[in-house]
Amino acid sequence: MGVVGPNGFLDQPHDLTLYEYDGGVDKHKPDIVVFPRSTEEVAAIVKIANQHNLPFVGRGAGTGLSGGVIPRAGGVMISFAKMNRILEIDLMNERCVVQPGVVNLDVTLAVQGEKYFYAPDPSSQRACTIGGNVAENAGGPHTLAYGVTTNHVMALELVLPDGSIIETGGKEPDLPGYDLVGLFTGSEGTMALVTKITLRLMRAPEMVKTLLAIYDSTEDCGATVAEITARAITPVAVEMLDGPMLRMVEEATHAGYPMDAAAVLLIELEGLKEAVEEQVEQIREVCQSCRAREFRVAKSAEERDLLWKGRKNAFGAVGRMSPFYYVQDGVVPRTQIAGTLKKIGEVADKYGLSISNIFHAGDGNMHPIILFNARIPGQLEAAQHAGEDILEHCISVGGSITGEHGVGMEKMELMSKQFPPETLDMIAKFKNLFDPQCRLNPGKLLPTGRGCMEIRQRPLTEKTAV
Amino acid sequence: MSELCPATAAELAQALADAASRNQKIRLGGNFSKPGTTAGDVSISTRALNRVLTFEPKDLTISVEAGLPYAELTQLLNRHQMMIPLDPPWSAQATIGGVVAANHSGPRRRLYGSARDLVIGMTFATLDGQVIQSGGMVVKNVAGLDMAKLMIGSYGTLAAMATINFKLIPKPAGSRTFCLTAPTLEAAMQKRDEILRGVLQPVALDLLNPEAAELVGLPAQWSLLLQAAGNAALLDRYSRELSAGQMIGEEVWPRVQEFTPMFLAAHPQGRVARFSTTLTDVSEPYRVWRGPMIARAATGVLYGYSERPLSLPAGLKMVIEYGEALMPWAQTGSDYSAMKRVKQMLDPKGLLNPGRLYARL
Ligand SMILES: Cc1cc2nc3c(=O)[nH]c(=O)nc-3n(C[C@H](O)[C@H](O)[C@H](O)COP(=O)(O)OP(=O)(O)OC[C@H]3O[C@@H](n4cnc5c(N)ncnc54)[C@H](O)[C@@H]3O)c2cc1C
Repeated sequence: MGVVGPNGFLDQPHDLTLYEYDGGVDKHKPDIVVFPRSTEEVAAIVKIANQHNLPFVGRGAGTGLSGGVIPRAGGVMISFAKMNRILEIDLMNERCVVQPGVVNLDVTLAVQGEKYFYAPDPSSQRACTIGGNVAENAGGPHTLAYGVTTNHVMALELVLPDGSIIETGGKEPDLPGYDLVGLFTGSEGTMALVTKITLRLMRAPEMVKTLLAIYDSTEDCGATVAEITARAITPVAVEMLDGPMLRMVEEATHAGYPMDAAAVLLIELEGLKEAVEEQVEQIREVCQSCRAREFRVAKSAEERDLLWKGRKNAFGAVGRMSPFYYVQDGVVPRTQIAGTLKKIGEVADKYGLSISNIFHAGDGNMHPIILFNARIPGQLEAAQHAGEDILEHCISVGGSITGEHGVGMEKMELMSKQFPPETLDMIAKFKNLFDPQCRLNPGKLLPTGRGCMEIRQRPLTEKTAV
Repeated sequence: MSELCPATAAELAQALADAASRNQKIRLGGNFSKPGTTAGDVSISTRALNRVLTFEPKDLTISVEAGLPYAELTQLLNRHQMMIPLDPPWSAQATIGGVVAANHSGPRRRLYGSARDLVIGMTFATLDGQVIQSGGMVVKNVAGLDMAKLMIGSYGTLAAMATINFKLIPKPAGSRTFCLTAPTLEAAMQKRDEILRGVLQPVALDLLNPEAAELVGLPAQWSLLLQAAGNAALLDRYSRELSAGQMIGEEVWPRVQEFTPMFLAAHPQGRVARFSTTLTDVSEPYRVWRGPMIARAATGVLYGYSERPLSLPAGLKMVIEYGEALMPWAQTGSDYSAMKRVKQMLDPKGLLNPGRLYARL
């Protein structure tokens, strides 16, 4: 691997083991991991991989939850860990240009002193990269008000699967031609590698208020979310944690969540003082009418940070309690949240698994966390079946199988339940247009038989359990 | 030219497939309210696709057919205190599909975004007679490719939108508009910078040169128009902080929104140029332009109006949006070949609205 030099790659089995998984439940080793430092190096690597007929896949931080980064056909993994520089901060124009390996939170940290921020804030923002965010079109608690990644990406530099480099979009809005930035964002690293991103920054709000509403029933909690939406109140974040989740989080973080509640809502309001103050009262009223047991307003920045720390470290907290868990990402219309929570309870009973919930309630993006023990034969499969049942329910009430984690290799087969065959074929056509050899991240996004991989790649090894 | 008005997505797909099988060039549109439509062998209008399919006020979502008049949609939402604040020109005649296909937007995009931020799902019919789905009816959704983004602003050169789903924005309690005038462009830009760097969050912030100001009924001066929205306490705050400006009536906004049709009605030979700039460069097009010009000053999109054909200023990112003969956009980048491949894939024979996308696609 002359392109990246002797320290620019890993190919020893013990090293490769570190690159065989992401935050999901699937696994497969790459044959080599390379660490390019520039766009040109990425392009050169892609060309070499093509010459050797090897598949390749881009890797950010490996925090993906749908197996997006798993090199299921082996080959070259292109890690963006060394392309992690913020190239330009242009506050006057509300823009920031970054390399793909920049960690999400570092963008906000770089500009918050000047009272700007980067809005999409996945709970994994301390680790996940902007490149991975663009690939998955990541969301986060605050995307309820500010939109997901695609609403904040202005331009992309891409290395196409044939090794050519293109730039699309710009710092300026509405450039003529087709919105390729919009097409490539959320394409799950299957159509191009992202090597540079121009982001939109936003002005920090004058006032932030964080509220905690505590409930003795999950139904009432779900009903509150529907009622906030129906009354057209516009918080910037509405996160829900159910009882089992609360207790795990509280034990790990001591954020001050009540241990005995059935559920809580973590609500954030931002904007000008006059608007925020009014909304606090409106939300207090809704929570009370929906039988909240208690309603707290964080009194200090510390109290607020603690509440959020609990939320954002939730998966870590789960990990303390259960070594194996499986997170789902279905979306339902907001009027369907209460019913969906009930359904999730039924599914848990059906499979004898425990499922707790922590999710972006404001946009109906459910994250049931299925706890299981992979050492007990059949439990992984049971967890996967439970996940599928829940997602089928989401589809049946007019929702989606994924709100932010992507289809990856985890939910491929469910795509045909959500979309008609013509649509799946059209997605395959786009993939084929940019990657006719099917070398970039093969075997993702589309159901088996509808993608291109089966025909051209060597067969998969059996999925190894966690 | 015969005109077809399919009434379902399947009929639309069939009409496209029939025309394609005969190699007929297709003039595709809604109400054909905007000038610059290309001639074709057959005309297909979405006019009869004019139903509201699902409206869920409590979920703040709606699904409509592409031929629904924008005005009708706005009235319906108004009754529920909701909006899709795209504020397009030709708002009385346009269909929602036409608005999205042209990626028309208006003054309030600073706060609410443009079509790419408000569309949550779509179906479109292709030349091979298929109906394709992108997204759905939930506000957050990453399943599948976001193909809807390609349709937005494609001027019907790739496929025909059949249905479009939107997320809805609740109407604010009230709004107020302020006009801040300045003796020079530089002074106006400085005022804008102060606002952008402050904490106020205007819904709209437009800059009009004296020629444009006069045409919307304001004194002929450099004018920054700012709209604030929210509760009474919030609006009073704006009044206090913008005391240098003058509060004016909301009726100025429809005139700003409809400036293009108004200008072209008065000057049928006129040209409308659209510039894309960074925020700091919003002043640049003004320096080279003779004639009325309106900027979305907090976004970076400007519209210049000329009574007669013009030579294009060099070095600026721009297109002729409307005018007798469409001129190709000046600078194409390294992504142009990828755009052509997308066009080629969906419309290999170049039948759909040929050249409608600024004479290039
Ligand atoms: C605790 C936890 C909480 C999470 N919370 C959220 C949340 O709130 N919201 C949310 O949206 N997600 C969340 N996630 C999921 C995950 O963090 C996101 O999907 C994130 O965007 C992945 O970024 P990454 O850098 O880790 O990408 P990886 O996992 O490394 O890769 C993800 C995909 O992106 C592709 N990719 C990476 N870099 C590039 C590149 N430069 N060019 C092309 N393709 C590339 C990969 O091939 C792969 O397909 C969470 C995950 C964890 C573990």
